[in-house]
Amino acid sequence: MSTPGRRAILLAGGGLAVGAATTGTAWAATGSPAPARDGLPPDDDLMREHGVLKRVLLCYRAMTSQVEAGHPLTAAHVQDAALIIHDFTEGFHEGLEEGYVFPRLRSADPINSTVTGTVSTLLVQHARGRVITQYLLAQAAPVKTGPGGTLSADTSARVSGAMQAFVRMYEPHEAREDTVVFPAFRRIVPAQELADLGQHFADLEQQQFGRDEFTAMVARITAIEQALGSYDLSQFTPSVTPYLPA
Amino acid sequence: MNSRVWLLAPALAGLLLAAGCGGRSAPAASGHGPKVTVLTRHLDGVGQVLVTAKGYALYMFEPDNQRSVTCTGACAGSWPPVKVPDGGSYVAGAGVDGKLLGSDPDPEGGQVLTYNGWPLYTYTGDVQPAQATGQAIDLNGGEWYVLRPDGSPLKPTP
Repeated sequence: MSTPGRRAILLAGGGLAVGAATTGTAWAATGSPAPARDGLPPDDDLMREHGVLKRVLLCYRAMTSQVEAGHPLTAAHVQDAALIIHDFTEGFHEGLEEGYVFPRLRSADPINSTVTGTVSTLLVQHARGRVITQYLLAQAAPVKTGPGGTLSADTSARVSGAMQAFVRMYEPHEAREDTVVFPAFRRIVPAQELADLGQHFADLEQQQFGRDEFTAMVARITAIEQALGSYDLSQFTPSVTPYLPA
Repeated sequence: MNSRVWLLAPALAGLLLAAGCGGRSAPAASGHGPKVTVLTRHLDGVGQVLVTAKGYALYMFEPDNQRSVTCTGACAGSWPPVKVPDGGSYVAGAGVDGKLLGSDPDPEGGQVLTYNGWPLYTYTGDVQPAQATGQAIDLNGGEWYVLRPDGSPLKPTP
C-alpha cells in the first residue's frame, strides 16, 4: 500500500499540528488525552483503543441502571454510544486485529489448539457484537423515538438487555486480548516489524478517518458520559469507613 | 516474514483463503498455475449462494458499486478479498455462470475476483464453512450481502 508516512502527514497538515498543540494544552486543563502517537507499538495502540471500548461499556452499564430504575432511555445516548462502537471499534480496531494480529498468531502456531481456539472465539464474538450493535442502532433510530427523544419502556428494556449481553461478552473479551493475545503477539514479532506495523496502523487511521480518530472518539465518549452523569471519576470512589479497622 | 509482507497481511489472508489468479482479462477456466474456484451451496438462512472451494460464503460490498474494490485497510482485515494470484485462472463450479466471473485491480496490490462486476470477499466472522454471519451487516461504510448464482445480492425484503 502506498500511504504517506506519519511524519509526512503531520508535516503536510498544518491544521493537524495546530490541533495537536491545542489538545495538548487542553489536557492540562480538562484531562483530554494527549494525541502523541508516533512510535506507539501496535499492541499498545490496540490496548489504548480498548480504553474507548471500556468507556462505552461503562455508558452501557449506566444506561442499563437507568432502565432498572424505571427511567426510559434517551435515543440519542444509545445512538451516540453505539455509533462509537460501530465506526471505531468494529469498523477499524477489530479490522486491525482480524487482518494483522490474529492471522499472525495462527500462522505462528497453527497446531496449538489453545491459540486457534481462542482466536476463533474472538472472531465469533466480534461478529456477534456487530449484530448487537446493529440492533441497538435500529432500536434507537429516530422513527422509534417518542416525545422528548426517549424510547418506550418496552424498547428501553430490550435495548438494556442487548447492552448487558454486549458488556458481558466484551469485558472478558478485551481482558483476554490485553493479557494473553497481545503479549503473545509481541513475543513472536521482531522489534522492527512491530515498529513498522505501529506506523502502518497510524497511517491506516489517518487514511480512513483523515485525523487522529482516537482523540476524537475520546471527546465523543466524554460528552456521552457527561450527559449520562457518569463522567465525574470521583463518584466511583468508595467510602472506606466500613473497612477501617475497628 | 519481513516488514513489507506484514503490511500486506490482509491481502495475504485473502490469498490463503482463495488460491486463484488473473486480471480483468484473465482466463476463466483453462490454463496452468493456481486456480480459484467458485461454487454454489445451500446455506441455512440464505439459501443457494456463492461460496469458495472450501465452502465459505462470498459477499459483495455495496460501495463497490459493481465497479471497483473499495474495501481496503482495516476493512480488508475483516473482509479479506478473494485474491487472484498472478499466472493462474478462475473456475466456475457447478451452478456458477462462468461468464460472470472476472477480476478488478486491488488498490493494495494484485487482482480481486469479481462476479457480475461485484468484487468478492469472505468474512472473518464465518469461522467455519457454510456460515453466512456477515449477511446484511452494515460495516466499514456500507452493507454486505451474499450473492445468488445469478449475480444479484440477497437483500432482505423491506
